[in-house]
Amino acid sequence: MSEPTPVLTSPGHAAEESKFQLFVQVAMILAVITGIEIITVYLPFARPVLFTILVGFSAVKFLLVIFIFMHLRWDRPLCTIIFFIGLVLGGGTMWALLTLFGAEASKPLSAMAEAARTVLAG
Amino acid sequence: MSNAASGALDHHFDPTTSTGIPNKKLLMWMFLASDCMFFGCLISTHLIYRLHPPPGTPSAKSVFSIELTSFSIFILLMSSLMMALAVNSIQKGNLKTLRSSLLTTILFGSIFLGCQVFEFNNFVFEKHLTITNSILGTTFFTLTGTHGCHVAVGVFWLILMYVRSFQPKDTTAARGWFLRNVLHVVALLATVLLGMMLVLKLVRALEAAPSFGAGMGLWLRDYWIALIGIALTGSLLRFFARPAGAVAFDEHNAIDVEMMGLYWHFVDIVWIVIFTAVYLLEYI
Repeated sequence: MSEPTPVLTSPGHAAEESKFQLFVQVAMILAVITGIEIITVYLPFARPVLFTILVGFSAVKFLLVIFIFMHLRWDRPLCTIIFFIGLVLGGGTMWALLTLFGAEASKPLSAMAEAARTVLAG
Repeated sequence: MSNAASGALDHHFDPTTSTGIPNKKLLMWMFLASDCMFFGCLISTHLIYRLHPPPGTPSAKSVFSIELTSFSIFILLMSSLMMALAVNSIQKGNLKTLRSSLLTTILFGSIFLGCQVFEFNNFVFEKHLTITNSILGTTFFTLTGTHGCHVAVGVFWLILMYVRSFQPKDTTAARGWFLRNVLHVVALLATVLLGMMLVLKLVRALEAAPSFGAGMGLWLRDYWIALIGIALTGSLLRFFARPAGAVAFDEHNAIDVEMMGLYWHFVDIVWIVIFTAVYLLEYI
């Protein structure tokens, strides 16, 4: 089997080498953030604080993967726009559903019945 | 020096399309955008029923194993690194590194799937959480099972791409190359499945046995045929991967590997969200 000869010349090669190092660095950062996330859930902070920290870490990991590993940083902006359209629609659907089902009148009936039983028992 | 001047391919710009983006890549980004909405609905369904659990719903905290999930997310993150390195290597025309990176990604993907099979087994047979006996089971297994199916499709795609890199340049001269590649796929698939089964059975045997030696003894006694099988499929893989002339796979195929990479990284980011939304938030 003959190996194809690399055609990139030195400036390109330097760029590709730095990309290799960048990928390894990003992977290490992702691993460290994951470790911190796991420790965070055991810290004695208030729930809203922990929630914000965990969602923040998750968002950082998400953005690092899409912009570095998925090459959005180097690709045409249209790729980013297309993906973010899906992301905003997906996120918006999540927000809408959570809000709708969080409303008192929309809670699942069985959950309402349980809540009523708890109130009556109390 | 510009890429055009150096004669190198520009992997981020395609002058033949009006957008400057290769059509395959555009299609993949559109698919991933639609998959965001799909997973968004599955995750929100799970969260709604976690926020308003019907009576009798078991505590997720008593069912989940944070250690196993942490291990599996670490494995998936490392597989993403290997996938990024695979794309990087084919863009430089480095076939040898591409193949080793793809094989490592396949290995990590299989470990992730093995962890999921182990977790599901544990939930069903030890924690008695099934897809039908509680709403937690329904939403959890639907969400993580769908993600697992995406990973399984990704592993199969990786296997196909790995074998594709062995397609001979002159297909008329290399007779039987197609059958050879089909057998190569079958051998790799069999190795992955046998490997997963053997590791899972080893873990089960070690859990059940009173000592490490007894567990190993039981495992060897029960699965020696599978061990011979994996040795045979491993030898077949070495045979199929031996040098056999020029191949029709170089940096011009980088777009195919990159598309597959986009899919794989997407599976990774979905797990990043699931890890926080489904697992970690239960612990606060």
